[in-house]
Amino acid sequence: MPKITIDGKTIDLPAGATILQAAQALGIYIPRYCYHPALSVSGTCRMCAVEVDKAPKLQIACATEIADGMIARTDTAAVKKARKDVLEFLLANHPVDCPICDQAGECSLQDYYMDYGLHKSRVAPEDKIQRSKHRAAGRYLVLDNERCILCTRCVRFCDEVTKTNELTVSGRSDASFIDIREGKSLDNDYSLNIAELCPVGAFTSRDFRFKQRVWFLKRIKSVCTGCAAGCNIEVHYNENTVYRLMPSPNPETNTWLCDRGRMTYKALQAGDRLRKAFVKKGSMEIEPAIRHAAHLLDEAARKTGPESVVVLGSPYLSIEDNLALAELAATSLKTSNLCLDFPREQGVKDGILINKDDAPDANGLKLLKARYAGLDQGALIELINSGRIKLIVAEARALSSLKEKLRELSNIETVILAVTKSDLDFESACVLPYAANFETEGHFVNYKGLLQKTTPSVAAPDGVKPLWTVLSKLSSCTGAPIRLEDAAELRERISEFIK
Amino acid sequence: MMEKILLKTEAADIEAYIKAGGYQALRKALAMKSEDVTAEVKKSNLRGRGGAGFPTGLKWSFIPKANTKPRYLVCNADESEPGTFKDRELILKNPHLLIEGLAIASYAIGAKQCYIYIRGEFAKETGLLSDCVNEASKRGYLGNNILSSGFDLNIAVHRGAGAYICGEETALLESIEGKRGLPRLKPPFPAVVGLFGCPTVINNVETLASVPAIIEKGGDWYSKLGAGKSAGTKLFSVSGPVKKPGVYEIELGMPFKKFLEDYAGGMLEGSKLKAVIPGGSSVPVLTAAEALKMNLDYESVQQAGSMLGSGGIIILDDKACMVETLLVLAKFYHHESCGQCTPCREGGGWIEKLLRKLEAGKGKEGDIALIYSIAENMLARTLCPLGDALAMPVMSFITKFRPEFEAHAAGNGCGKREAGSGKSTQ
Ligand SMILES: Cc1cc2nc3c(=O)[nH]c(=O)nc-3n(C[C@H](O)[C@H](O)[C@H](O)COP(=O)(O)O)c2cc1C
Ligand code: SF4
Ligand code: SF4
Ligand code: FES
Repeated sequence: MPKITIDGKTIDLPAGATILQAAQALGIYIPRYCYHPALSVSGTCRMCAVEVDKAPKLQIACATEIADGMIARTDTAAVKKARKDVLEFLLANHPVDCPICDQAGECSLQDYYMDYGLHKSRVAPEDKIQRSKHRAAGRYLVLDNERCILCTRCVRFCDEVTKTNELTVSGRSDASFIDIREGKSLDNDYSLNIAELCPVGAFTSRDFRFKQRVWFLKRIKSVCTGCAAGCNIEVHYNENTVYRLMPSPNPETNTWLCDRGRMTYKALQAGDRLRKAFVKKGSMEIEPAIRHAAHLLDEAARKTGPESVVVLGSPYLSIEDNLALAELAATSLKTSNLCLDFPREQGVKDGILINKDDAPDANGLKLLKARYAGLDQGALIELINSGRIKLIVAEARALSSLKEKLRELSNIETVILAVTKSDLDFESACVLPYAANFETEGHFVNYKGLLQKTTPSVAAPDGVKPLWTVLSKLSSCTGAPIRLEDAAELRERISEFIK
Repeated sequence: MMEKILLKTEAADIEAYIKAGGYQALRKALAMKSEDVTAEVKKSNLRGRGGAGFPTGLKWSFIPKANTKPRYLVCNADESEPGTFKDRELILKNPHLLIEGLAIASYAIGAKQCYIYIRGEFAKETGLLSDCVNEASKRGYLGNNILSSGFDLNIAVHRGAGAYICGEETALLESIEGKRGLPRLKPPFPAVVGLFGCPTVINNVETLASVPAIIEKGGDWYSKLGAGKSAGTKLFSVSGPVKKPGVYEIELGMPFKKFLEDYAGGMLEGSKLKAVIPGGSSVPVLTAAEALKMNLDYESVQQAGSMLGSGGIIILDDKACMVETLLVLAKFYHHESCGQCTPCREGGGWIEKLLRKLEAGKGKEGDIALIYSIAENMLARTLCPLGDALAMPVMSFITKFRPEFEAHAAGNGCGKREAGSGKSTQ
């Protein structure tokens, strides 16, 4: 393997590695604009120039492959000057409207200016080129051509990752600008990655625009529950509000994040978020509603026997919540009509990330099925269609997923567990809200079998509790508690599933 | 006696070309082993006439032997550099010499497909070359089983769309591939990954037209023409206030002074030589004194502080305003930058704006130093040589003709033009 020395530190790496990669491995940071580890090398911004022994001029670290015995330096006067000069060129026609730019605080133009530039502008203001400032670019993005430094990351992303080719560079020389190809709209399923890839404030997210200064944001790692991919995310939040989701790259799961995934946090803030329970008569405080649900359960068991009650698990719920559902059936209701069988078609749908299965935890549910068995789905449907069932307890989307196969639900009562009204598909005797994924911890097993955990970042609305707490309370009211009141109990009980 | 190779016969007509001994070198080459053809060209010390002066035989030998992909020869006929107009002359006067050169070079490198990438504005030349390719094919000098040798070659004439940058060899390849003409990062070099990802040799028109004589008379013979490491003859296109502007073929090494007097006919009456841009507009300018000491060969021009480049000699006289002249160049390079890389994209326009103000008498104190510094910051920092092609003229103009720039900065103009009017006062 070729051995290279950078700033006096030596490393050997497989042939084909670049100086930039070698520097990275040595912990030496080389500033860059056009380089992005997940995209092809374009070598055009010239920010990464370094000195290489025997080379007559500076070499760009992102495109120069290492050779055995190579000696490179990133800390010389020539390198520092080159960085400063590139910055001056990039800022020559830049509007420097940082005070109104969303990228401020996480902009490499700003950051590198502080680190390497700090020059006084030598451009007469009247010489600056003015360009289009806010061009709508698809559902989620806005393009400010004036702030663009033409690194072409955005173009390469659409060419190489989504392969949808919406973007191009139009014009040439300093009249070059990022353009949306004729007849196209920047609406691929991953478009929001562009706002993040863009090193400056040229592409920004409409959703995030003007909402929050990034330096106020707190960050916490979690997992997206938008589908079975189990992408790792970073939740950016402040003062009990989530502002955006970013990918937290993990070679096992994801580099990017899909737009739908990025928008999953919107359910928290949606107008139809359930903050109260619902019964037939209308909205009701949660605690009395839980008692009302317990009453419905009791009544059904008393009148028609425990076997007239069905409890469904859900591929949309965490292992914790499904455990609580299984326990509710087994311990409290003592019905054998528990169904944890939700076979789902899984696999990457588009060659990138999005999974055919939009539920995050079908595989976690299987772990519980191995322990609790229960009805398989065919038997469940037959049972429900037979008319012998009087009451169903289910999470909203799990029940909806069976809708096509179920005949006449109108004479069956339901106790439905839901986060937003839009998840509801049925008239229900009682709807109980619970805390969403950003508000509570939960374990999920992705399509590859990877067990991962979401981390809470914000608190649920007043009185809204994690589902396992809700179900625990419900069970207590029935007189046979499942004892999942507190986190410590829960942790112990799920430990057998999350080994 | 000055040897003439390129403009010896002037026969666009194939009959006349054949009668004058044309296509015999091809016959001879096809009877040789292809490696021997390359060896002969190496021996000749022929250097690329497109500007960089890279040894031609050596370039051919970079085609990897083990690579089984198709190979391509590309002839660079994009000639768009201000001051350079020799390839057009060669194509018009001696198209079959070029075609014969293409056939020999293709045989040497094992290419069965050759492209001539011709400047978009050369409509007439495109038509002529296409006709000549057809005629040569009809007579068995191109096409399948050429002269019963078993060697096949097809030549396509591809017309550019008017961008100077497409003369840069890798932008040219992109353009043939149907993409935007953006220079590629090197390495990989075209000899390894070239047109359509295959090994490719790119040579200038004049370079390739020099090949038949080398095969006919031998590399040794050719290497003795010219001066030292600058072997052979070369076309020089001379423009400006001289009596006989035009294209002349001379052996390399001729004193510039002699060339100016004997070929270009000397300066126009009333004109005094002030400066020379010896190798097309991209190279550093020389003062009259510097130019008059140099010979027209690669080494001597370099010693004088410039480059032989494409051999496009631009003569400037005492009536020329150096600020205005530099502004013209800056406009060109600003306009023609592909815009890919930061220093060239941003530097060209900035320099042009400052020069425009300076030229109009609206410059500010410090502008000259600023223009110089911008050029310096572009130099050797760009992806392709176009950035340098602006930086070098800017730096040399300012260094060598500073008083003229200072007079403009002081608002005095140069007395040669009405400031900012674009009109000469004389
Ligand atoms: C901006 C730019 C424009 C160029 N234009 C031409 C051209 O019009 N014709 C040409 O032969 N070479 C041109 N070149 C040089 C080519 O890149 C290349 O070096 C040349 O065609 C190689 O041929 P040679 O080895 O026979 O000289 C240009 C280079 C640059 C950087
Ligand atoms: S919009 Fe952003 S990502 Fe795209 S080229 Fe401009 S700076 Fe780069
Ligand atoms: S130097 Fe100029 S022409 Fe060459 S790649 Fe860079 S921007 Fe394009
Ligand atoms: S990061 Fe290397 S040239 Fe842009």
